[in-house]
Amino acid sequence: MHGYSFFFLPLGMCKGVEGFEVIRFMCVCEAERTLVHVQDLTPEKADQLIWLRARVHTSRAKGKQCFLVLRQQQFNVQALVAVGDRASKQMVKFAANITKESIVDVEALVRKVEQKIESCSQQDVELHIERILVISQAEPRLPLQLDDAVRPDGEGEEEGRATVNQDTRLDNRVIDLRTTTSQAIFRLQSGVCQLFRDTLTKKGFVEIQTPKIISAASEGGANVFTVSYFKTSAYLAQSPQLYKQMCICADFDKVFCVGPVFRAEDSNTHRHLTEFVGLDIEMAFNYHYHEVIDSITDTMVQIFKGLRENFQTEIETVNKQFPSEPFKFLEPTLRLEYTEALAMLREAGVEMGDEDDLSTPNEKLLGRLVKEKYDTDFYVLDKYPLAVRPFYTMPDPNNPKYSNSYDMFMRGEEILSGAQRVHDPHLLTERAIHHQIDLEKIKAYIDSFRFGAPPHGGGGIGLERVCMLYLGLHNVRQTSMFPRDPKRLTP
Amino acid sequence: MPMYQVKPVSEAHIQIELPTCMYKVPNIHAHRGDSCASEHALQNGEVDPAVKALGARQDEIMRKLYELKATVDGLAKTVTTPDADLDLTVSSSLSSQSFSSATSQSITDLNTVLGKDLGALRDIVINANPARPPLSLLVLHSLLCQRYRVLSTVHVHSSVPSVPPQLLSCLGPRHAESYARHTFQLGFTLIWKDPKLQMKFSIQNMCPIEGEANVARFLFKLLTPYPSDPVLATLVDSWVDMAFFQLAEGSAKEHSAVLRSLNSALGRSPWLAGSEFSLADIACYCCMLQSSSSSAAPANVQRWVKSCDNLGHFSPVKLLMQ
Repeated sequence: MHGYSFFFLPLGMCKGVEGFEVIRFMCVCEAERTLVHVQDLTPEKADQLIWLRARVHTSRAKGKQCFLVLRQQQFNVQALVAVGDRASKQMVKFAANITKESIVDVEALVRKVEQKIESCSQQDVELHIERILVISQAEPRLPLQLDDAVRPDGEGEEEGRATVNQDTRLDNRVIDLRTTTSQAIFRLQSGVCQLFRDTLTKKGFVEIQTPKIISAASEGGANVFTVSYFKTSAYLAQSPQLYKQMCICADFDKVFCVGPVFRAEDSNTHRHLTEFVGLDIEMAFNYHYHEVIDSITDTMVQIFKGLRENFQTEIETVNKQFPSEPFKFLEPTLRLEYTEALAMLREAGVEMGDEDDLSTPNEKLLGRLVKEKYDTDFYVLDKYPLAVRPFYTMPDPNNPKYSNSYDMFMRGEEILSGAQRVHDPHLLTERAIHHQIDLEKIKAYIDSFRFGAPPHGGGGIGLERVCMLYLGLHNVRQTSMFPRDPKRLTP
Repeated sequence: MPMYQVKPVSEAHIQIELPTCMYKVPNIHAHRGDSCASEHALQNGEVDPAVKALGARQDEIMRKLYELKATVDGLAKTVTTPDADLDLTVSSSLSSQSFSSATSQSITDLNTVLGKDLGALRDIVINANPARPPLSLLVLHSLLCQRYRVLSTVHVHSSVPSVPPQLLSCLGPRHAESYARHTFQLGFTLIWKDPKLQMKFSIQNMCPIEGEANVARFLFKLLTPYPSDPVLATLVDSWVDMAFFQLAEGSAKEHSAVLRSLNSALGRSPWLAGSEFSLADIACYCCMLQSSSSSAAPANVQRWVKSCDNLGHFSPVKLLMQ
């Protein structure tokens, strides 16, 4: 085609680069050109001439040669431009001046290397570039360096190297998401969703979609966002619970939904977001609400097993930056009763009343105690005191102090709260009055049970929390792509 | 009315056994006049909840009384014989007396070994390697089940990729009332997990117990107190050690030496530790089963194996080994 190597800015945006002649590149052979993926660059491809599109991760000129690291998602490969019969001195200079994070097309020869390249994911080969084309140029000043963004916390301080703080990351989320760690986290998150859907579909659940703009607070009175709705106002759904329950009353038997959930809680903690993705389950059961617990815990165990089998590289990648112990679980899941938990806590010196709710530090402590005894990071706590649960929770038929409700914990933090729901309108009214809830406001809710409702139960999980705790991360913002909290509404 | 009469097709009052795990829906036939949704009453045939509550309360009171009696007994012992621990004959006669009535005293038994009841299920957790199922503990588990209300659960730890199905059901079928953990006296949680055998009970007040022999000793104490005669206790201990160190893990030479000494001991008495079946028999039997050496055993041992088989305690583990 061309006598020697050229560099192009196609798409009609020609401009002179360092006084070089630039040719408008609209070659006919482009369409036939197959692009190779970086992850497929293995020793089998040695001595082949290939085309590749990737980002420039780094470029470093050294006399007559220039080393580039080309990156595609979490994979990268070393590439080399050296002065010789296929490349000129000017080409080396051009390659050295391509800004980091620019997207380039290269034609290169794959070469096996003697010594493994430790810094790249493709350790056994390197590329000898013959042609290089810039497809899209990045601005020279990056708001954060990718290498800094993947550096483990402690390491940076010791060596005097920079690490990137959370707000800088979140302000420049597009770049932060390019890091290997972020790539791994969100691939894993997609895996959680996928496994959740697959497992439940296999169990005969039906996926439903519920409205997010609602007329009244669905759950008790916790904080809801108000939005203007033509001449009146409406609320953002805090949980799809009412609609899940209505689907049960409409004979869908077992349903789940995946969708955003909004909480107007002004809490700035490591685990609260104002908008998050809820994975919600609701099912009718036959004889005992433990059928619901068994379904949910088995779903979780299947998710954990699926992650363990299919996402091992992602887990290891995240662990490189944020080291944590591997997530441990039991199959079938361990189920403890609230009284047992109290006994364990009391033995450890915690003073608590029989009907008190677990405080966050006590939850953590209990998590450690359970881990010590049973060596599991995931367990269910069953039979909570009735007094600490919402009005729609079914009381325990054998002991009025307790209820048919449960929480699930991962690494000592609550991820799911659920219960058998009261499906009898009279009992529900009674419970609502007991909780001093305005009956007018929840009339629609109570009315939905008047025409025959099967006994049912369910619960909801926060996707971000599950990912955070599975990976042993310390902030839920790391597992939320564009997190929303009381102080952040952008990007 | 000008109609003929039919006899009722069924008697008026039929007793129906209803499950107690569900909440009650009022009788839908009770008040016809009201709107459909508001008809509710007791389902017929249901055991009166008041009676049940009364029963439960009585059980609770009895339990408390027994506890109280045991405490008072203990106090009386220290008051009447201040140096009871020195006087071996007195203490042994007392202990045998207090442990003679098995079932009614079972809770106090548990209390002496496991510590005070905190009003929740007392769960014994055993980690075992699926490659070497702890047969003796499974035997002890079935013995415990005969004596107490035991909630048995089997889990697989995430570090173990897969476990053969017979190991998942080795503690028997799931108890029908396993949804109510607090109604059991004792929890027996078996977790299949590499590498070593370990038992945990109270993580605050007790170290984990390691090794099958030691866990077996602990569990056996829940069944019967250790022999108060120090000679007998030492004898049982030494058999247990011999079983686990030489019979199960030892070389062929050690193996045959143990078989010889077993043979001579069983020539003198029906069981290894005298006239009563003990932990020594359980340990030796299970270790022989594991090393599959019972066929080559001498005559007295063969006879002993047969009488062990006749007891029936070992049939589940024999099934497991097949």
